[in-house]
Amino acid sequence: MNQLFDDRKNKLNYFKKSYRGKANQLTKVSIPEGMFVQCEKCKDLLLQEDLEANAFVCPKCEFHFRMNARTRINHLCSQFEEWFTDYHFQNPLSFPNYEEKIMSYQKEAKEQEAFVCGLGWMKNLSFALGVMDSYFMMGSMGTYVGEKVTLLIEEAIKRRLPLLLVCASGGARMQEGLFSLMQMAKTSAAMKKHHQARLLSIVLLTDPTTGGVAASFASLGDILIAEKKALIGFAGQRVIQQTIQEELPDHFQTAEFQLEKGMVDMVVHRRDIPAILYQLFHHYRGLQQ
Amino acid sequence: MANKILIANRGEIALRIIRACKELGMECVSVYSEADADSLPVKMADEAICIGSAHSEDSYLNMTNILSAAISTGCNAIHPGYGFLSENDQFAEWTAKCNLTFIGPSSKTIGLLSNKLNAKKIAMRYHIPTVPGSLEPVNSLEDAIRIANEIGYPLLLKAMEGGGGKGIQEIHNQQELHEHFDRVRLENKANFKKDGIFIEKWIANPHHIEIQLIRDYHNNIVSLGDRDCSIQRRKQKLVEESPSLFLNLDLRKQLTKDAVTLFEAVDYVGVGTVEFIVDNDFRYYFLEVNTRLQVEHPVTEMVTGVDIVREQIKIAFHQPLSIRQEDIHYQGVAIECRITAEDPLHDFLPSPGMIKNVIVPGGLGVRVDTHIYPNYVITPYYDSLLAKLIVWAPTRREAIRRMRWALEQFLIDGIQTNIELLYLLMHNPDFVRGTYDTLFLTKFIELVKENNHESII
Repeated sequence: MNQLFDDRKNKLNYFKKSYRGKANQLTKVSIPEGMFVQCEKCKDLLLQEDLEANAFVCPKCEFHFRMNARTRINHLCSQFEEWFTDYHFQNPLSFPNYEEKIMSYQKEAKEQEAFVCGLGWMKNLSFALGVMDSYFMMGSMGTYVGEKVTLLIEEAIKRRLPLLLVCASGGARMQEGLFSLMQMAKTSAAMKKHHQARLLSIVLLTDPTTGGVAASFASLGDILIAEKKALIGFAGQRVIQQTIQEELPDHFQTAEFQLEKGMVDMVVHRRDIPAILYQLFHHYRGLQQ
Repeated sequence: MANKILIANRGEIALRIIRACKELGMECVSVYSEADADSLPVKMADEAICIGSAHSEDSYLNMTNILSAAISTGCNAIHPGYGFLSENDQFAEWTAKCNLTFIGPSSKTIGLLSNKLNAKKIAMRYHIPTVPGSLEPVNSLEDAIRIANEIGYPLLLKAMEGGGGKGIQEIHNQQELHEHFDRVRLENKANFKKDGIFIEKWIANPHHIEIQLIRDYHNNIVSLGDRDCSIQRRKQKLVEESPSLFLNLDLRKQLTKDAVTLFEAVDYVGVGTVEFIVDNDFRYYFLEVNTRLQVEHPVTEMVTGVDIVREQIKIAFHQPLSIRQEDIHYQGVAIECRITAEDPLHDFLPSPGMIKNVIVPGGLGVRVDTHIYPNYVITPYYDSLLAKLIVWAPTRREAIRRMRWALEQFLIDGIQTNIELLYLLMHNPDFVRGTYDTLFLTKFIELVKENNHESII
């Protein structure tokens, strides 16, 4: 029976080649770009649509994809009013190719810089919101980002608003060298002022929060919430291992590890974050009145 | 109304009639020859009765055996199908004499129309164009030359009993007539044991068009449209389609009008077909009347939605037609391919044998009328029709595409078939354009051989 089908197929192929002058040509089907995404952890193919509907968490293995700033804002706020959009490029060290690099990131990430801030609303609750964008130069903190964080915190103090900072950063921006490091002190001081004004600050640590950001304002919130499995730490794992010459635990520098060590207050699934934040802000407003 | 019908036929048409009987709530009896004991109609009919040996003369053409089978099984009607006894006026007469209903026109009508010359004379009486030619056998060269000058060259010399391309000579001028007349006359005398040959005008690029009619005992007549059966070889049709792409509206009306005239003239009751030849200049000539159900009736059923066999049976029992002309709405295009057990590259040599396996196509607009099944043996005694593959689609192009795909699916293992030839035919530009005549198929087969497509077939 198989032979019969094969014979017919061979004849058909021969016919299509000789009689019609063409064989069955494969037409290339182009899948619309971005229709499918591969999960970085379980490697399963996911529909972009499904992924978006699930707040960029793999529905199969719960891997939390990185979110850009705008998506994060949409996920957290019902309404958002952006502040401090003035932008001037600065290259204090005249670092070579820095401007080109920034420009290409601006084009790619469709953001001016790695930090977006403004007034956010969750239903009837408002708060000052700052979100780092890990898609823009790994969310690194240069003078512009540091200044904007500081401005946001100061504005929050002025308007007596609680503060929510969503961190995702590789640390201080190396192209601006010491100027970047100075931002650590500046933002930390601003956080202190906010604290002294007896206002609530919540920091949401997402994958990855490391380096100079982790070592400054990202660790200074009143409440530190980390997303599941997020990488949180100061120096890189390999650097530490080579320095202390010790075996590191498997979950070293994960959100869960930091919870164990008392660095963060809670580790949550991304889908629960809006509800938890709302609860906290709601509770906080109740306390203030 | 009768409740038991004997089917004096075999193969797919016997099955087709059984199906119609079942739908009408009638019982049916199959008759079969010794060679057909394992055939599907025998298994599917309510009763089956063996009427003789494998040779048709002893079984399917054996009138007394068939009649006694009908009487002994308590049938009150006989359906003759096509071929065999379907156009035999004597059988129709005997059937009537045994107080059985013959499902077909009366013996008298069959008698009038089955003689081609007679039918031609009737047509001429009603001013229906016929092929110019001699109405009586020609015996002398002098007469032949006189008639030839009357009708003009080119012309054909034909034997009265000839058919299937045998005993026909093409003549282009008087000199050729001189050369061939005596030879053809003597050959015919030797082959057919009858003296006298006919002279007929040779028609270039003939198209074979036929009109399907139904008429009941109550003077209701309905035309079910036309069929183009020009894809044929030695009068053996291979592909039929409805409606004809070649006919224009005026000609279609004219052919229908003439066909109706003829039916009414002979008081025809039943299902019948009037065949015409139409040349490229739209001149048409009456050819003959088929006083029976035809092989290609499904194409008409597909475009009209009328169950022709069902109507035929009802008419035979004096019931009025259940449809009027205004109920007939032609929809889409239907094409039929006759799948036969023949080797198309070796002069259509029959290929009997056991069918090891069958895969039958299906789907919307695909109809397969067949009696074959796995392990069924095709015997060499009867015609080689295995199946009729009929497709319907809204347009002709779509129908051709559907037919191609249906043929691709159709697999018959164990014997040589013409499926591949039909598949090639469905890709031929002339066929696809619809510019073909009755000479086309022969040329097409030559083309296939020239192009070395044997490996496909």
